[in-house]
Amino acid sequence: MTTTAVITLAAVLVIVLGVSVLTRPRHSSTVDFYLAGQRVGVITNSWAISGDYLSAASFLGVAAAVYVSGLDGAWYAVGFAAGFVPVLLLVAAPLRRYGEFSLADFLGRRLDSDAVRISSVGVVQLVILCYLVPQSVGGGITWELLVGHGIFGLSPYSTGVLLSTAVIAVVVAFGGMRGTTWNQAVQFLLLFSALIWLAVVLTADGFRYGDAVEQLSQQPLTNPELVDSGDQQSWQLVEETNFIQPEEPAVFGEPGARYGHLGQVALVVTLGLGTAGLPHVMNRYFTSPTGRAARSTTVWVLVLIGAFYALAVMMGTAARDIIPAAAQEHPWLRELTVDGVLRVPEHALPVLGRIYGDEAGLGLVAAAALIAAMSTVAGLLLASAATWGHDVYERHINPRATQRQAVWAGRLTTLVAAALAAGLAIALRPDAYTPAMPSLVATMVTWAFAVAGSALTPVIVLAIWWRGTTAPGALAGMLTGACLAVAMFLTAGMMQPSALRELMAAPTLLAAPAAVLVTVLISRKTRPPASVDAAWVIMHGTAADRQAERLATLTVEERRRRRAR
Amino acid sequence: MRYDDVPSAESPVQDEVRDTPAEADAAFRTLRRIAITYFTVFLVIVAAFPVLTMTLPWWTESRVTGNLSPGFLFAGVGLYLVLAVLGIAAATLSSSVESRMLGHQSPGPQSFSAEFDLPESGAADEADR
Repeated sequence: MTTTAVITLAAVLVIVLGVSVLTRPRHSSTVDFYLAGQRVGVITNSWAISGDYLSAASFLGVAAAVYVSGLDGAWYAVGFAAGFVPVLLLVAAPLRRYGEFSLADFLGRRLDSDAVRISSVGVVQLVILCYLVPQSVGGGITWELLVGHGIFGLSPYSTGVLLSTAVIAVVVAFGGMRGTTWNQAVQFLLLFSALIWLAVVLTADGFRYGDAVEQLSQQPLTNPELVDSGDQQSWQLVEETNFIQPEEPAVFGEPGARYGHLGQVALVVTLGLGTAGLPHVMNRYFTSPTGRAARSTTVWVLVLIGAFYALAVMMGTAARDIIPAAAQEHPWLRELTVDGVLRVPEHALPVLGRIYGDEAGLGLVAAAALIAAMSTVAGLLLASAATWGHDVYERHINPRATQRQAVWAGRLTTLVAAALAAGLAIALRPDAYTPAMPSLVATMVTWAFAVAGSALTPVIVLAIWWRGTTAPGALAGMLTGACLAVAMFLTAGMMQPSALRELMAAPTLLAAPAAVLVTVLISRKTRPPASVDAAWVIMHGTAADRQAERLATLTVEERRRRRAR
Repeated sequence: MRYDDVPSAESPVQDEVRDTPAEADAAFRTLRRIAITYFTVFLVIVAAFPVLTMTLPWWTESRVTGNLSPGFLFAGVGLYLVLAVLGIAAATLSSSVESRMLGHQSPGPQSFSAEFDLPESGAADEADR
């Protein structure tokens, strides 16, 4: 292990553990463990939500997708960023005002149904697992590149998966939402700094965005593939098919290298609607003091992640432009490339870091990648703990549980979910899938968005905006959306490239309207809960917001008075 | 995020004006109209890219700022800017509507919980346990 690798890993550990110790929970209550006391300010929460949301899929995956597919890879960035617009317009403020612990609890209470709560737990767990596994994969990839060898006889990849998941599981289990919030906020700032540093050094070195796109678009887009040649396999550069104009070669700066027109729309809709159903992101809104604060937080998130994704797309372009020439100069790069093109596209950012900052640059980018994976894993584990610990254990298994028992149930489920995700990540090695998927990490995250956007988002939006939503309707809609989404993206994996396959691979465009239709049809034949009027005043009224704002003002005045004495 | 220095239970906060169901419903209808309008604008913006790619060669072939095509500039930079502006406008309008439409009735004789048959409470109950 190089000195840089040791310093990088030590820095990550010091940051994560240091923040966790400084912000450890002071009370053993579920409100503190799951919701950080519901007093997280707008700026802190926007950084934390950004840290939670910007996962390995965003940091490594978006640049990788642009690197492999050019403009078509940017659709991941567009979809990920666009997702917060529906959250802002339709979900953030009313969801927070209803003030529950988790999405499952929100739906269960709003529709006054345990069946809805339990079914939501199942769908939420499926989303969490689809999202957790690629984060652990990101941790494994980074360790493989940074350290290069494993411990206790494990491969470098497996070691990275196990260590990154284990560290964050312990931090979450003992730090709860309070520790996780500050960790995610600090981690976002580090992540953003790493991208800004790369953008500055690249530009200072003469990289010109427009010229690079222009130059890359002069030749057909090619990527490495493992090709059978006689009795052995070898890596070769293969031209990408143009899915919009098949008679012409696909090029970097124009759409068509990965998706047709329908595929573009389907991917953006899947990612855009999925965000509002992501349990780890939506649970963070319950930590805001008011609905209005939740709305303001979302505006900040839109600005921050917009800047982040614009930089990520630029980095994917820069990697494609710079690495072929750099491979001639740097012997270490030849092992990772085929004729100047990376075999594993997720290596794009770490490789850029090493080219421009040598071992220290690699260390910085690798630390940011590990941090990106860890901050999202933290949010996912906490969301998993909230659903199992609160919605299942406290509500159904042991309703008389003490606060201490409930918190320990959350901690235990955190560790179990982490072990399951690490096991699955080890079973799915990314380089085996690269030829079939633009970026394994980003593709697997798309599945999570597909289930969330098809099953949870339609029901959440209807529960907030349509009084007529009933428990049987929501249950049927949620199950329809989930089953359709899973069936469609599994079927897509077995289909030849076509417009239909693109639609099936990003299924929300079909599955979400189906879920809405089923929810509405069944709701019309059943009775809404008696508590709907009360729910409406809580979700769409602002009395609780005003009360919390006045309380905050009085608290500040009280502090001022005490200081003045 | 400190927990001490919080005003006592007898603080004037308890006198906060409640929202009536009629007020909340009126605000809900206005907010729904705002949400639908902005969501439609959002959908048009997102759908614009494939439509312009199919219909307007200028969108992918010409070069504008920084030698980038309008399409690449939109997907790489411009869209995030547009989304942020859209978000700021929608949030400002929604919050202003809430301020104008809610919180002006005097407190009624009944408590809120007595007025409605509320389902089992969540976080507040947990905090009291």
